[in-house]
Amino acid sequence: MNSTRPTTHRDNSIKEKAPRKEWYKLDLSAIVYPTLQRKDFSSVYRLSVLLKEEINPQVLQQAVDMTLPRFPTYKAAIRKGLFWRYLEPNNRPGPFVQEDVQNPCQPMYFKANNRYLIRFYYYGNRIALEAHHSLGDGTGCMCVLMTVVATYLRLLGHEEIQNGGFVMDINEEPDKEELEDAYMKYANAKVCPPRPGEKTYRVRGTREPFYTLNIIDGIMSVSEVMAVSKKYHATITEYFNAVLLYALLQKQEDEKHYKLRPVRVAMPVNLRRFFPSKTLRNFISMIYPGIDPRLGDYSFEEIVVQVHNYMRYYVNEKFLRGDITTNAATQRNPFIRVVPLFIKDFVVKKFYAKVQDQNSSAGLTNMGALRLPEGMEPYIERFDICMGQPFSNRTNCAIVSFGDVLTINFASSIVETDVERYFFRKLVQDGIHVKIESNRI
Amino acid sequence: MSYCVNCGVELDKTAERCALCNTPVLNPHQPIDRSVPAPFPKEKGQVETVQRKDMGIFLTTVVVATAITCGLLNAWVFRGEPWSLAVIGVCLILWVTMVPLVINPGQSIYLSLLYDGAAAGGYLYMLTFLSHSDKWFWGLGLPIVVYVTVIVELTALCFHKLPQSFLTKGIYVITAIGFLCAGIEMLVDRYVVGNVVLRWSAVVLTVCIIIDIVLITTLSLRRVRNAVRKRLHF
Repeated sequence: MNSTRPTTHRDNSIKEKAPRKEWYKLDLSAIVYPTLQRKDFSSVYRLSVLLKEEINPQVLQQAVDMTLPRFPTYKAAIRKGLFWRYLEPNNRPGPFVQEDVQNPCQPMYFKANNRYLIRFYYYGNRIALEAHHSLGDGTGCMCVLMTVVATYLRLLGHEEIQNGGFVMDINEEPDKEELEDAYMKYANAKVCPPRPGEKTYRVRGTREPFYTLNIIDGIMSVSEVMAVSKKYHATITEYFNAVLLYALLQKQEDEKHYKLRPVRVAMPVNLRRFFPSKTLRNFISMIYPGIDPRLGDYSFEEIVVQVHNYMRYYVNEKFLRGDITTNAATQRNPFIRVVPLFIKDFVVKKFYAKVQDQNSSAGLTNMGALRLPEGMEPYIERFDICMGQPFSNRTNCAIVSFGDVLTINFASSIVETDVERYFFRKLVQDGIHVKIESNRI
Repeated sequence: MSYCVNCGVELDKTAERCALCNTPVLNPHQPIDRSVPAPFPKEKGQVETVQRKDMGIFLTTVVVATAITCGLLNAWVFRGEPWSLAVIGVCLILWVTMVPLVINPGQSIYLSLLYDGAAAGGYLYMLTFLSHSDKWFWGLGLPIVVYVTVIVELTALCFHKLPQSFLTKGIYVITAIGFLCAGIEMLVDRYVVGNVVLRWSAVVLTVCIIIDIVLITTLSLRRVRNAVRKRLHF
């Protein structure tokens, strides 16, 4: 979903500075991610930006050191309390920029890397930032990355770059609202709608060895995609969602299942679009557009209509408020609050593996069109986002655009590329020119 | 620029194959450009291991303190039988077992298992001072420890060097159980009765062989393997 930071009247009002805190509570989403931590899995995602000139690592390190204190919830370490985890300011040396690797989004152990939960990489013209989801969502992390890049470019002599949008002023104190748990502010619906709980189709595949993350990037023109989406009377997000469902349906059909299952895509919605908040922490909610092939064969046009109607029905302030309230109800329950952390960890992990993870066949996120402040655009080629390693056998798809360049990134831990192949072939069939880049050798 | 003939997508100048369908790039007009850097690095990264030094020091202190205090108690207060050797032996086994977990996570699995076997042997030897005889140790205890260590080492070797699907892992474990039971009964018989006759372990061995045959058949016949996968798919 489009995640351009809201620059509403709030930006013009008097900012309330956040007092420097000793610790920060994890937000409602962030509570879940550390419990899913395994030796071979962490909820890590990656945002990267491709500049027009080669990266100077010394200057980049300087930019990181200058920028990170502006984001106290990112310059933090995660710690265990008796009942909940919390974030604590981290003043250890680092994080240090390092050369990029072939297998990104590796597990992030809480006690490694001087307890930092972010990593900076460089490779050729690219700067990449990997962050643990317990710190914040893509929008918050994009603010960190853009501010680092703006500082980096200014250090190289490009003084004309302004602050604004995703680029923060590194000399000002963080706004109180940037550090808040925005979920609790808006979790005030009078009813808690039930969560969807039906098992969906799971992609079959051969699991790759530990640490291997296969990435396939599709690069295309925004105007071409927009023209095709218009042809189907859908938005870009709806169109890509429909193509992914189409690919998953084809994959399920190919596998000759004894019993068909519904195909659903888990899609995070940026709640900042609906609830005014400047938080840099997690503020997303999940929706699950899907198709049930047991009802009959769907043509692609029918899938688009289905997705379009689903989005119109569910993606609005009322439904999203209900969803947040349902999620917050668990955390507010006094009986759950007093349960020791290790029991919560055990129960949440089991619930996630048995229910939440089974709710969807793939993940898709669209950060939308990124806007840059004045003076920065000429130095940027394109952006990439990667949803990171999936919790189970599946494919995660992330979309971002800048100018006329749209990038679709598929990340999976299985050998087979069937879903990606069906997806991109459908785009090519629809007349979109796609260029593929991959880390598969 | 090269395009995949199957997928219709444009490929990167450095790509040797289509990432979507694995079709090799054979374009006489534009050969693969190896002079420009690939879009992704070639070097694989390693996850930084967590040093649990504090935990290692803490556990070592607890184990060593327990062993020393028990030794002192045995020497000065509760004299007579050398009972503290039993406690010291347990402390030794605990310490050797936790070394790969908290002190040296990078230690080879084979070396760890060898140390575990040696610690178990050492513990049994300490018990001979309590039982006032070492005949059982040389005749039964040590051979069983050596045999179990060898079987576990071989199973670990299979897990690391041979194919690692769910079914093959099952074969390794079942085979190891069969050999373990048969070997233990043979060693016990040799020590107690004097001659070797397989009884209960023969039943275990038969069951293990049947399971192994079923697993090998499933593995070798693709159609059967797929049918099993299909029927066990949740």
